[in-house]
Amino acid sequence: MTYKVDEIDNKRIVHLNGEIDMEVSDKARNTILPLIDAGHEVHLNLSKVEYMDSSGISVLIESKKLAEQKKTKFELIEVSKPVEKVLAMARKFL
Amino acid sequence: MSETAHQDHIEKKAFLVNSSSLKDVRSFCREVFEKLQIQEDLKDELVLAIAEAAQNIVKHAFKNSASPTELMVVQISCENNKLQIAFYDRGTPVDPKKVKHREIDNVKPGGLGTFFIQEIMDAVEFKDGKKPWINHLVLTKQL
Repeated sequence: MTYKVDEIDNKRIVHLNGEIDMEVSDKARNTILPLIDAGHEVHLNLSKVEYMDSSGISVLIESKKLAEQKKTKFELIEVSKPVEKVLAMARKFL
Repeated sequence: MSETAHQDHIEKKAFLVNSSSLKDVRSFCREVFEKLQIQEDLKDELVLAIAEAAQNIVKHAFKNSASPTELMVVQISCENNKLQIAFYDRGTPVDPKKVKHREIDNVKPGGLGTFFIQEIMDAVEFKDGKKPWINHLVLTKQL
């Protein structure tokens, strides 16, 4: 998995690429959570993520919860088809 | 249920018990499902279920601390359009009663993998592992 972060004012647009599984979920977590913790609005682009499992969904849940605590925004702005399918299955947890 | 008749087939492969193997497990499954000509959407779901089960072995049966040579085996078989995926490992014995996904209103992460497996597969069964194996998980799906 690789990532890129664009900065626009207080917004941080995080683009993740590749496959997000147990092996790399900590890398995704350590990329996103500190930005939210610092009070930034985080917009996550998953349009180039080819595979995501429950480890990746857990990162999204943690990010959403932290954003609520920090009273900031955490949003998905684009998702790939594989991610959309996993999100649909996990929807009741999100 | 698929209207396509899938050829009978059996294939198995051993993988090291660590998180780096999960990508290899997914590749193996995709290759076998290509041979079985399983439809793309179903293939993605099956790969996810299998990868989640393999992840559970690494994370729970071995608590992320398997020895560097420890192996788990994944066997995929198809007979009369019934797909069976078997997992064998030598980790901590699994108590099937304790394997459950978390409650829907609990927004903590974790337990999602088991939920995905149950959503995708028709049946999830823990059998007694025959030596040298300790755990023997079988997932089935009618194609």
